[in-house]
Amino acid sequence: MSTKQITLPVIGMTCASCVTTIEGALNNLSGVEKAGVNLAGGKASVTYDPARVGVPQLVQAVTDVGYEIGTEQVTLQVSGMTCASCVTHVEEALTGLEGVRKAVVNLGLETARVEYIPGLVTVAQMKRAVREVGYGAEEKVEGAEALDREKEARQREIRRQGLYLAFTVPVAMLVMLGTFRDYWILPQLVPEWLGYKWVLGLLTTPIVLGPGRQFFVNSFRGLRHGVTDMNLLYATGIGAAYGIAVVNTLWPTAGFGGEGATFFESAALLTSFIILGRWLEALTRGRTSEAIRKLMRLQPKVARVVRDGREIEIPADAVEVDDIVLVRPGEQVPVDGLVLEGYSAVDESMITGESLPVEKKGGDEVIGGTMNKTGAFKFRATRVGKETALAQIIKLVEGAQASKAPIQKLADWVAGHFILGVHILAVVVFVFWFFVGYNLFFDPSSAFILSPYKLGEIGVFGFSLLLSVTVLVISCPCAVGLATPSAMMAGTGKAAEHGVLFKSAEAIENASKLQTIIFDKTGTLTKGEPSVTDAVADGQWRIADSKAIGHQPAVIGEVLRWAAIAEKNSEHPLGEAIVRGAKAQGLPIPSAESFNAIPGHGVEARFDGREILLGNRKLMRERGVDITTLLPQAEAVEKDGKTVMFLALSSLTSHVPSQDVRRETGDMKLVGLLAVADTLKDYSVEAIQRLHRLGLQVAMITGDNRRTAEAIAKQVGIDRVLAEVLPQDKAEEVKKLQAQGLKVAMVGDGVNDAPALAQSDVGMAIGSGTDVAKETGHVILIKEDLRDVVVAIEVAKATMRKVKQNLFWAFVYNTLSIPVGAGLLYPIFKLVVSPEWAAFLMAISSVTVTLNTLLMRGFVPSIRKEERKRQAVLRQLAPASAGGGGK
Amino acid sequence: MGGLERKVALLSAVSYTGISLTVALAFLVTATLVGTYTDVARFGGAAWVFLLSMIVTMPLVTSRFKKRYRA
Repeated sequence: MSTKQITLPVIGMTCASCVTTIEGALNNLSGVEKAGVNLAGGKASVTYDPARVGVPQLVQAVTDVGYEIGTEQVTLQVSGMTCASCVTHVEEALTGLEGVRKAVVNLGLETARVEYIPGLVTVAQMKRAVREVGYGAEEKVEGAEALDREKEARQREIRRQGLYLAFTVPVAMLVMLGTFRDYWILPQLVPEWLGYKWVLGLLTTPIVLGPGRQFFVNSFRGLRHGVTDMNLLYATGIGAAYGIAVVNTLWPTAGFGGEGATFFESAALLTSFIILGRWLEALTRGRTSEAIRKLMRLQPKVARVVRDGREIEIPADAVEVDDIVLVRPGEQVPVDGLVLEGYSAVDESMITGESLPVEKKGGDEVIGGTMNKTGAFKFRATRVGKETALAQIIKLVEGAQASKAPIQKLADWVAGHFILGVHILAVVVFVFWFFVGYNLFFDPSSAFILSPYKLGEIGVFGFSLLLSVTVLVISCPCAVGLATPSAMMAGTGKAAEHGVLFKSAEAIENASKLQTIIFDKTGTLTKGEPSVTDAVADGQWRIADSKAIGHQPAVIGEVLRWAAIAEKNSEHPLGEAIVRGAKAQGLPIPSAESFNAIPGHGVEARFDGREILLGNRKLMRERGVDITTLLPQAEAVEKDGKTVMFLALSSLTSHVPSQDVRRETGDMKLVGLLAVADTLKDYSVEAIQRLHRLGLQVAMITGDNRRTAEAIAKQVGIDRVLAEVLPQDKAEEVKKLQAQGLKVAMVGDGVNDAPALAQSDVGMAIGSGTDVAKETGHVILIKEDLRDVVVAIEVAKATMRKVKQNLFWAFVYNTLSIPVGAGLLYPIFKLVVSPEWAAFLMAISSVTVTLNTLLMRGFVPSIRKEERKRQAVLRQLAPASAGGGGK
Repeated sequence: MGGLERKVALLSAVSYTGISLTVALAFLVTATLVGTYTDVARFGGAAWVFLLSMIVTMPLVTSRFKKRYRA
């Protein structure tokens, strides 16, 4: 028995009993000779017989007893993939390695994301495995360098295929002219020698052995490792056409159809069309990932920082947290930070999608990669390198583009089995036409579609072989394989342009099917902090030294001012809201001479010789203050879910200790009331209206009491309210809706929303929310603008429309072309598709899919369209009004 | 492990070549017994069927052997 020893990294061990458990689980496996666990090192060392037990079983045994195997991830840049079957080959090559747990290949990005157990497999082994099945592999580098390398590789491929094309097309045209020189007016134009078979052979040979060589080499590499790909289809097609032509030229009586069946032009044009397809694909495929390139290009190169009191310019990568960074007008903000001094307007559209520049002053946050417009400012770096918002966005978008949507599973399955299926079909077609079809249907006067070339002397073998080769060449899994990933790449990129980050392709697919959206209330629909919404003065209250009375604005302002004076030293959220409200109105707020908080009731204070009492009904009742005059107003605002505080003032002028005031000041008079409530965010109402217009059911979930919740729901236009829901029950409410068969999205920002975000089909986290919410959500809305929920849904729907269109065209192409190529129409029309036309159609199908995806570049969400229209109108109006003013 | 891989490769090659030769032979026998095909058609057809059968069986057989020996 030959044994093997491996070390597995184990996560989750806390004590000696964990060691015993894991050792027991491993030792119980048949084939494990010895298992020892090192608690401190977090490692399990296993000696086993590989013939009886494998790594997957060892891993399973550890996970079954409640521990995890530590894994790492690496992304490889894979070159040379052309179709979906390549994806399967690379994935199989990687997952075939011991220690690789998962490998996801993205054809569009040409990457393979590998999750592996460190120590069991190395990146070098992964690269070797990929190379052995005929593809190139390098460890993917990050950021701008990756962009440069990828661009360079793509340019190289475009140049290479372009050069091949420049050679093959004119030569293939000559071969075609020579082949058909007996037709139409060609005898007068084309010299006779060009029609000689050996001349055609001489012209075709360098095409097949030169530019066509790549297909033979690649298919041989694949076959050596037991994999079949598109190259094999091409190689079989070109090889068969060229081989028959050579045989019929050198040995015309060999029985392969003689001189009438020298398909040199087929071999030449077939090669040319395939190369044309490769060239077009190389040209267009890079453009579907343009969004990520745009984001990468945003990464700033240099930063101006203050070090040792001197202003120096350093690479943006070298900026450290807490560095003081200077930004002048027209310069890019190099990293994320907090403005210390200065004032400016910053264009954040590239990160948040916000079309108007955002004002920045001391205390405001700035985002790396954004563009400073007008002023200069100084800021302190808070996040640098891979921690910046831009770097995180790039990472998320890349992750989403590398993931697979559920809809892709079908496409992958089809494409993965396609090549084999096509070869089986080619055998069936050959056998059918050889034994049955030729005798029943063959007509010597029949011809190729769109060709004057008659089949004439072609024998049973030549005819059957021709149709068999055509089936191989006309079939195209490329289109099927590209349909979903190319659209997903375009969609995730487009969403990122508008400030919406999808974390996976699955999130896009789910977002396109949503039926119900649940919004968390506090912090999501509302600002999450109370503010003063109403101030009412008692009708009889007159300000000293003033003629203002009752409901006049000056009097209302006084109510707010006295309330703010009383609350100035308060730490209660309602008190802070009142102080903020007074400051916002520019009211002076002097400090009170004395202050006393009365928990659960309100506050009392003294200022300018007067006692101030601010609080709820209970406080007023206890102090004997009559509030009947303002009760109707109080009840009216309370119906809207607002909190009411009454304000009473005394007319005392003597200094009385506040504790005594309570007992002695019988002359406290009600002067007004203030209502405080959590207010809606700027675009909440519009977002809900738009969601309703999209036909979605909108609900609100909150822990607040029903009255408050319904009041907010009424303001925002939501008809379904899930009130008094404890944080831990929010996920249950989502589950209940899902149980009704609904696809549910949850929009939230808080830690308490995380379970519901995870439970929902699409969890949308607000970018300004907690890290927990952002990590749990499937979608991140960079801005606080709730209209981006609509943007996310619109982009998702547009992407899935594109996916379905692409899959439709890809399947329709194959469903129609394969039977035609197999000769299904021959018995009726006596026409067959020539291999070169088959190659042309095949090339066109995958290019069509890519071009259809590129149409996504023009997609603009409805909100942005309307914004642009509004801005265009404003721009038109601005010069007109300026001109009018001058007259 | 190298030895195991070699063994898998050898067994796979013997199997898929055997299957393909059987299919090609079946084609040749049928073509000889049914109809009046020329030698070129019969042998050329058998060769084409053999090539396609190899392409079909090679990945299927290889992956099956790999799975069996890995388990």
